[in-house]
Amino acid sequence: MKKIILNNNIPLVIKQNKNTPRCALCFYFKIEKPENRAGLYSVLNRLFLQGTKNRSAKQLADELDENAIDCYSEMKYDFIRFKLQCLNEDLEKGIEILSDIIKNSTFDDFNKEVIKLKGEIPAEMDDPKSKAMDGFYKNIFKNHLYGHTYTKILEDINYVTKDDVINAYNNILDDSSKVISFVGDFEEKTVEELLNNYFADIKNASAKKCEIESPILEKTEIVKIQKDDASQAQIIQGWHVPTIFDKDYPAIMVMNTMLGSSGLSSRLFLELRDKKGLAYVVRSSYETYNKAALFNVYIATEPKNIKTSLEGFKIELDKIKNIPVTEQELENAKNNLIGKRQFFTETNLQQSSLMAFYEDKGLGADFEEKLIEKIMNVKTEDIMRVANLCIKEPFVLTVLAPKEYLNFD
Amino acid sequence: MEQNIVKKEIEYPYLTRPVEIYERACGHKIVLAHKEGGLVNISSWVKTGSINENDENNGISHFLEHLMFKGTHKHKAGYFDKTLESKGAIVNAATWKDYTFYYVTLPQGPDGAYFKEAIELHADMMLDPVIPEDEIGPAFKLGDDNVSQKRERHVVIEEIRMRQDQPWTKIYNNTNKNMYTNHPYRRDVIGFPETIASISRETILNYYRTHYTPNNITTIIVGDFNHEKILEKVINEFDFKGRENFQNPKHELDLSTQEEKYYELNGKINTGFAITGWLGPVARDLKDNIGLEIINIIMGEGQSSRLYQNLIETVENPVFNVVTTDFYNFKDGGNFFIQANFKAEKKDEAISLIKKEFNNLLKDGITEQEFYKAKKKLKVRFAESAETVSDIAENIGYYMTVCDDLDLVEKYLEDLNSYALQDVNNVARKYLNFNNAVTTVLLPE
Repeated sequence: MKKIILNNNIPLVIKQNKNTPRCALCFYFKIEKPENRAGLYSVLNRLFLQGTKNRSAKQLADELDENAIDCYSEMKYDFIRFKLQCLNEDLEKGIEILSDIIKNSTFDDFNKEVIKLKGEIPAEMDDPKSKAMDGFYKNIFKNHLYGHTYTKILEDINYVTKDDVINAYNNILDDSSKVISFVGDFEEKTVEELLNNYFADIKNASAKKCEIESPILEKTEIVKIQKDDASQAQIIQGWHVPTIFDKDYPAIMVMNTMLGSSGLSSRLFLELRDKKGLAYVVRSSYETYNKAALFNVYIATEPKNIKTSLEGFKIELDKIKNIPVTEQELENAKNNLIGKRQFFTETNLQQSSLMAFYEDKGLGADFEEKLIEKIMNVKTEDIMRVANLCIKEPFVLTVLAPKEYLNFD
Repeated sequence: MEQNIVKKEIEYPYLTRPVEIYERACGHKIVLAHKEGGLVNISSWVKTGSINENDENNGISHFLEHLMFKGTHKHKAGYFDKTLESKGAIVNAATWKDYTFYYVTLPQGPDGAYFKEAIELHADMMLDPVIPEDEIGPAFKLGDDNVSQKRERHVVIEEIRMRQDQPWTKIYNNTNKNMYTNHPYRRDVIGFPETIASISRETILNYYRTHYTPNNITTIIVGDFNHEKILEKVINEFDFKGRENFQNPKHELDLSTQEEKYYELNGKINTGFAITGWLGPVARDLKDNIGLEIINIIMGEGQSSRLYQNLIETVENPVFNVVTTDFYNFKDGGNFFIQANFKAEKKDEAISLIKKEFNNLLKDGITEQEFYKAKKKLKVRFAESAETVSDIAENIGYYMTVCDDLDLVEKYLEDLNSYALQDVNNVARKYLNFNNAVTTVLLPE
């Protein structure tokens, strides 16, 4: 892996993987300003594939598909990223289309895209899990960019204008810090030349103070969502916890693995699924953004099991807070976590994506190696400490179920 | 080394070495594929799924899949998961109409120690499951709140409940059921809560003994390893001890409906959902399958597809939120589906717009440009499916189990290259007439 600064000052992190027929490129644009209305960045992101000064939306879609080039953008609150994946022989074509999308999008289809989005949201809310998750994120990140979920977007979208989108685009294009990563069977020189050629006029802005504040959760909130025909209750309980920039990041990852993020041998899986038969899906997760991070537990269970499931969560969470984990369990969790990371970095696209993710955060594209070392250094006492640090009031508990089962507290 | 092993090699696109297939005298097949990198995938594919079920035991293949993880005579329940996951393994299994498969993906470990241990544990699980009564949990009557021990029966019932809440699953199941008259494919793989709550351990064990036979199992290993040594290891670990073979019964193929079928369901939802399905060619009919895969790409895959462009992208106020197609391959005949989500009050218009698109396809055929695009996409799919050890194993498992051999992989790109545009139009007319279609719509109450 190597880091090169392109002529436009954008860092390129690059890795050569021999004998791989497809290559991958990621282009990150940092989001450093909050959106004035929920949905602004989502609409901007959607409009990137809806036509440029040189290609209509149909021509873009046709050209990408005819060359079997995967090219799309994603909005992840802290950044908008473009991903490009194609056969090695089509790399230049792919970069040319990507540069056209990034530099020449017209946003002319603004009204159409808003109409499409407004149609898709109710369809998404017909899925009980999506509906419950929407209620959870909207409340745990209340009045914050990270809480701009589908239903929040539906409330605000009519107030977003095409000019807002163009302003946001110009701001991101001119004023954001950027990172490119590339993984594939190519010499550095070839990729560097291509990128210098196609992206010469996109400048990297130096890092500025991010205007997005950290979200604050002031008090515990219980959110009840009624869905009378639901066969299962959807239960999510979550806490604000330290982020990837914190020294406790590796220890929280290990705690999460032990509790329920990974496979069939975690505590929640064994106790709530295997022993109590409460669920098919039960898990914990730890997700980190730039300005906040969440630790949460989730279960989908027959509505009459809501109380038993909440008690089950409490027992397991109290255990990890109060009873020291054994050396053996700690070792198992660490090896589980480290071993699985190979699985999630197997393809060129996965590697490229992770390298850019770390580089964008200022941690360095090679952060993965350092992280593994830090995970190896987590001690048994760290687990109890971070459990007490993370799992405490306030929290948000969201339960979706038929009306007659929502009287659980 | 065991005697009487027949070896065959297959050129697999985008892999740097040929794939080796070994057939043992007992019928057990072992496939070894080379993929650079530190991860290995070990899987065993069993030729059983809902294809071997009836109304009394529907869901047994999937329930057995869950129970295979509940310990062997050598190792208690939980040992397999805990031991392998503590080495960074991904461990799981899946059941579908024609097959059930079990897999482990993990780093090889120091001197391949994890890899070897994983082969031992995987073989032990496949050949010697105990399926203990206390892990299954006592049989019970559905709705009885006084069940003392809620074990795996309840886990599977929760999985069924989860699917009951998914709008797409509801209409898929109804369409699937009504596309067939007699074939076992008409049943939902996961079965019914009533069956899972009451089926006995003995019935499950008998099902295991009948179907998990050497000739019905293919073990696939993908990664960077010494083939000779690993072959020997797999042979040693997979000691079937003279287990008798079982020949799967042949099922009479169902004919498509000769008259369009339409069903309407209701639920507490906001939007309308629809699935239209047709019966397709048997899995070994490579030519017709390629034709339907091409049509799938042209009609309903991605933003350049006809349905997306004509029904969403170029319409000022679209009726549809989602409209795509999908094509599944099955041993006794695949399925082609259209899936749509639309504004519920515009149901009639939605259905008629979809029909118009398919009638145009049958009348005017596809264009050269569409044909070129679809062929390129199918070629690239091989490159995609050769990127991870798990994807390679799944592709090999599909061909070995559903198509009975890997020979079609070698033939695929050759057949695709020689495909003519007119062949695609002929396939469309042969399979995708609305007189032969079954549609289910789900609307708000």
